[in-house]
Amino acid sequence: MIPTAFDYARPTSVDEALRLLAQADDAKVLAGGQSLLPVLRMRLNAPDLVVDLGRIDSLRGIRDIGGGGAVAGGGGAIEIGAMTPYHEILASDEIRQELTLLHHAVAEVGDPQIRHRGTLGGSLAHADPAGDCGAVALALEAEMVIAGPSGERVVPAADFFQDLFTTAVGDDELLVAIRFPVHPGWGAGYQKFVRTAQQWPVVAVGACVHLADGKTISEARIGLTNMGPTPLRARAVEEALAGVTPTPEAVGAACAAAADGTSPPSDLNGDADYRRHLATVLARRAVLAAAGHPQ
Amino acid sequence: MELTHRFTVPADVATTFAAFDDVESVAECFPGAEVTSVDGDAFTGGVKIKLGPISLTFRGEGEFREKSLAKDGSSGRMVLSARGKDRRGNGTAGAEAVVALRPGAARADGGPATDVEVTTDLQIGGKVASIGRGLVQEVSTTMLGRFTDCLEKKLT
Amino acid sequence: MTTTEEAPTAEAAHDGEIGRDRRRKEDHRLLTGRTRWTDNIAPPGTLHLAMVRSPYAHARITGIDTRDAQASPNVVAVLTGADLADTQGVLANAWPITTDQVAPEHKPVAVDRVAFAGEIVAVVVARSAAAAVDAAELVDVDYEELPAALDLKDAAAATPENGGALAHPDLGTNNSARWIFDSAEAGTGGDVEDAIAAARSGGILIEREYRQQRLIPAFMEPRSVVVDPTGEQITLWSATQIPHITRFLLAATTGVPESKIRVIAPDVGGGFGGKLQTTPEEWAAFAVARRLGKPVKYTETRSESLLAAHHGRDQWQKLTLAATTDGTVTGLKVELLADLGAYVALVGGGVPVLGAFMFNAIYKFPAYRFDCRTVLTNKTWTDAYRGAGRPEATFAVERLMDELAAELGRDPLEVRRQNWITHDEFPFTTVAGLTYDSGDYESATAQAVEAFGYEDLRAEQARRREERDPVQLGIGISTFTEMCGLAPSRVLGSLNYGAGGWEHAEIRMLPTGKVEVTTGASAHGQGHETAFSQIVADRLGVPYEDVEVLHGDTQVAPRGLDTYGSRSLTVGGEALALAADKVVAKAKPWAAHLLEAAPEDIEFAHGKFTVAGTGEGKTVQEIALAAFAAHDYPEGIEPSIDAEATFDPVNFSFPHGTHLCAVEVDTETGAVSLRKYVCVDDVGTVINPLIVAGQVHGGLVQGIAQALWEEAVYDDAGTLLTGTLADYLVPSAADLISFDAAHRSTPATTNSLGAKGVGEAGTIASTPAVVNAVVDALRPYGVHDVRMPCTPARVWHAIQEGSAA
Ligand SMILES: Cc1cc2nc3c(=O)[nH]c(=O)nc-3n(C[C@H](O)[C@H](O)[C@H](O)COP(=O)(O)OP(=O)(O)OC[C@H]3O[C@@H](n4cnc5c(N)ncnc54)[C@H](O)[C@@H]3O)c2cc1C
Repeated sequence: MIPTAFDYARPTSVDEALRLLAQADDAKVLAGGQSLLPVLRMRLNAPDLVVDLGRIDSLRGIRDIGGGGAVAGGGGAIEIGAMTPYHEILASDEIRQELTLLHHAVAEVGDPQIRHRGTLGGSLAHADPAGDCGAVALALEAEMVIAGPSGERVVPAADFFQDLFTTAVGDDELLVAIRFPVHPGWGAGYQKFVRTAQQWPVVAVGACVHLADGKTISEARIGLTNMGPTPLRARAVEEALAGVTPTPEAVGAACAAAADGTSPPSDLNGDADYRRHLATVLARRAVLAAAGHPQ
Repeated sequence: MELTHRFTVPADVATTFAAFDDVESVAECFPGAEVTSVDGDAFTGGVKIKLGPISLTFRGEGEFREKSLAKDGSSGRMVLSARGKDRRGNGTAGAEAVVALRPGAARADGGPATDVEVTTDLQIGGKVASIGRGLVQEVSTTMLGRFTDCLEKKLT
Repeated sequence: MTTTEEAPTAEAAHDGEIGRDRRRKEDHRLLTGRTRWTDNIAPPGTLHLAMVRSPYAHARITGIDTRDAQASPNVVAVLTGADLADTQGVLANAWPITTDQVAPEHKPVAVDRVAFAGEIVAVVVARSAAAAVDAAELVDVDYEELPAALDLKDAAAATPENGGALAHPDLGTNNSARWIFDSAEAGTGGDVEDAIAAARSGGILIEREYRQQRLIPAFMEPRSVVVDPTGEQITLWSATQIPHITRFLLAATTGVPESKIRVIAPDVGGGFGGKLQTTPEEWAAFAVARRLGKPVKYTETRSESLLAAHHGRDQWQKLTLAATTDGTVTGLKVELLADLGAYVALVGGGVPVLGAFMFNAIYKFPAYRFDCRTVLTNKTWTDAYRGAGRPEATFAVERLMDELAAELGRDPLEVRRQNWITHDEFPFTTVAGLTYDSGDYESATAQAVEAFGYEDLRAEQARRREERDPVQLGIGISTFTEMCGLAPSRVLGSLNYGAGGWEHAEIRMLPTGKVEVTTGASAHGQGHETAFSQIVADRLGVPYEDVEVLHGDTQVAPRGLDTYGSRSLTVGGEALALAADKVVAKAKPWAAHLLEAAPEDIEFAHGKFTVAGTGEGKTVQEIALAAFAAHDYPEGIEPSIDAEATFDPVNFSFPHGTHLCAVEVDTETGAVSLRKYVCVDDVGTVINPLIVAGQVHGGLVQGIAQALWEEAVYDDAGTLLTGTLADYLVPSAADLISFDAAHRSTPATTNSLGAKGVGEAGTIASTPAVVNAVVDALRPYGVHDVRMPCTPARVWHAIQEGSAA
């Protein structure tokens, strides 16, 4: 498991990193390395240059950026630097309270070692269809801050994931931060289904719901993981849930549509039919959990 | 791994057939593909597969095993087979694509149409196929999807 | 210190040595990494090897272009099979199960054809491991693909006439051997066909087909080999279970005199049968080192290990169980297909034969027939994997007993009771011709049932069924036995096995009082150093701390047959006990001489020789010093009390146990979770309960993993799809529960220790316990079987199909 030889650079600023990317023919960005290093060691890629973002302090941290800015809704937002490792997110009270769904999802990523090295930005930029955080970013309607040679741009999560392992981040760009509108008063439920602990999800469903009067669902947002080449929103379920009193029967009925419009893979962990079924069960459980524990 | 893609082209079978017969033009649709030489029904070339974290370069050769166009233009069929290996010896790829052409329902404007069905039997072997949650299989499915999407656009 | 002060403490320690929970003495160095694994060994100037492996399951090699690789920086040589053809030797099959067994020749580096994806086609030698791997990518091999025999049943049916793919076309068949045992022919029982005919008209017939999926041993330390050809001898270090067998076969197949070869297995990180192999990598490294005259090293990656180290299990089992309507089993017929993979491995062909004697398990079946075919395919070769043959047999019979109970509508424990051998019937000669020396199935079962809370769990199960709880409870039973302690050499001879089953030990009494022990049983994680020290301390009455156990080096422990088949304690431990007894016998005349007494008056107890009726005495350690000085000793004896012994058992040993497992099955998702696991194992005398617990726990996990998680999967072109540990699912502690593992003991009668062996018990017993539990949970849904591993998807589909039917 020895990668091919490559040059290694460790810039200390985003500008320097972007310059390196602009100059190189075939460069790869290194964040926590939990996805990139296996790929390099297995020689599924052999870049000339690896640009390690580990020393760019500005890319790391959790910031309350208040109500303004580009964030939809205007209800306040939290910005997480792309290089923030999972474990910092997990340890943050703010995130547990305001972005409970993200907290739940991050808690289930890999194992403690992976959570100490792996980063939220790396996970989203990698866009593994089985990654835990993509669907959550969709459900929480996050926005991605991308820096490139011509400055910064902000891309909504819905436009960020383009295809298998393909995002809006270009070869000469960096994902620098992720902005999440806070969801005060929203309940969250995350259901990750695995065959063994510390595995990528066979299917996962993240749900956050808002209960209007404490009784009926006024709004629900459901993200699906590993139900297609990109993370997906279960729009049909979201619509069906609006106005529903969250009993198991009613939620179950609404969640029967969880797999509508998806194209899940068939692999050693399960065939597509099984995944479609699983999505309905997990969606019901996630929504009930979310509705049962409103913040 | 067998994958089937279907689309309809606003041209008659013979015209569509001729379009498929042009290897270099067809290859343009495959992301990262390049034809380096054509010799009758045989060709050589390479494909650089670059998707997210993965970057593999396959080189190899291919040929049209079968090309038949019914005289009356009622059907066309070609069988194309190609095989190659990764530049770094980490994998092999073999594909057999059967392109079946049939007259489609006439278009709204009365012009001819052809229903195209591309059935690809793709075989990825070696190290790249046996590591990492079927990653390479998924990647190749995606690439093939992009290829046929592009073909469809190009021909329509 | 005076003797009077020392005696009481020494005595207290001596009394407690057998059956004492001692922490393993080897663990400190193993856990802190203060030891040497093969990959840490680097003789000066070591060159590194990288293997170029075939991506195809079956192909002719039409050309190998090594020029770019040769020209790559720091590359010393690139050698193909053709380059090594004359010197590389062959890999031997030590157990041709029939005289007409068909077996392809197995060259370590393929010469003109590859027969599985992962087979070595060239070896790159470079000054660094990185340079070797870089250059290996530049070796350009042209292949012409050949049809591959992949599916076991198809391969068994393929002939040149029907055009089915042949793994080795020149052999004309994929069928390697057919091995039959029939109790009517052997005179050990009736004719199974009569039993089946009777059952068909008025009895009960259970006909089932079970799949033993392909597994990968997945030991923690990947295989590694270092060969140093400099000096008078060629030294080969290898992460192997079998240094002695390796040395013998290297000599036998390469022509290098055995005396010129030294094989060392340093600390080895697990094997589970997976390192009971002589490997192409070892043979290639040996050939390359000899050719270049320089030390070489090869350490596989995890993916190479999963791909090319031998796999295990992989059988189809067709089973017919005949019984009367009152639940008495009248016969069992087993028709088996075993997948050998591309070559007949060291003992690969014999693995199903090891199971042949175990299908009748603890039961008094009056008629039995076992008919097995071993089949060549274009996949990685298969061989021993923890339990080897016996897990397959135990799975089949324990699943069948549950099916019989379900058919009868009776409690599966009751049906077992009705058919098993009772404790007063030992020794019992089974329908398979083995004589079980001891056991007590009733007591082990009673204890397990009690600890499990069997009745309460059955009540909970009934309640959940009643309430149609989406989470159903299932209870699985496995009352197993196995034959272990491989093995009586004469029996092995009668089975056409290529070697014996004895084991050797030596005790060297050092002048300082320390005791140096060598054993031919080469440990790779089992704790031999601890358990064997306890045996020696017990027999010689020396402090445990004074005993040093040496193993795994053919120059240090020259005679031995290594570690597998739960044999180390029952055979190797017994050899050591016998050697200790010889030391005592040799020391006795010294004691008599030094104490100026007649030998008849000398007594030996707690490490001390005393003159009967007096307090005077000499310890065995004092005599060791006297023998070293040799200033004063009787005529006619040698100046040494060292001793060696070789033990060849007259029979196998037969551990047994009752395993009870409760699982919860989420019928909505198909997820299976363990709820409770209780086992009571009878492994005979327990030398060290802590080690026994460790072996049982680890064994359980491996057996449970077969039931729920692990499977080596190939695609339809013969590419292994489970080439990383993200795909081949080995469980971790997070997937398991605490086990309630207890033991009872009816001592074995075939060795003086009374030990029966414990290395494989947990693995053999647990797989059917878990699958029985899963099926038990799902019976109300019309489910009668779930193929292993019982993945959530399979369980869910089984529920859909069962409910639809
Ligand atoms: C054993 C194991 C188990 C795992 N289990 C899970 C799991 O259960 N769930 C889960 O979601 N994930 C899991 N992972 C993956 C883990 O979450 C990874 O950390 C994550 O996918 C990538 O984050 P990283 O920081 O390590 O990125 P890296 O591996 O460093 O990079 C990943 C990719 O993203 C690119 N990249 C990284 N950062 C940026 C950036 N700022 N801008 C542009 N491109 C960038 C890199 O170039 C690379 O292509 C597991 C990994 C391992 C090894």
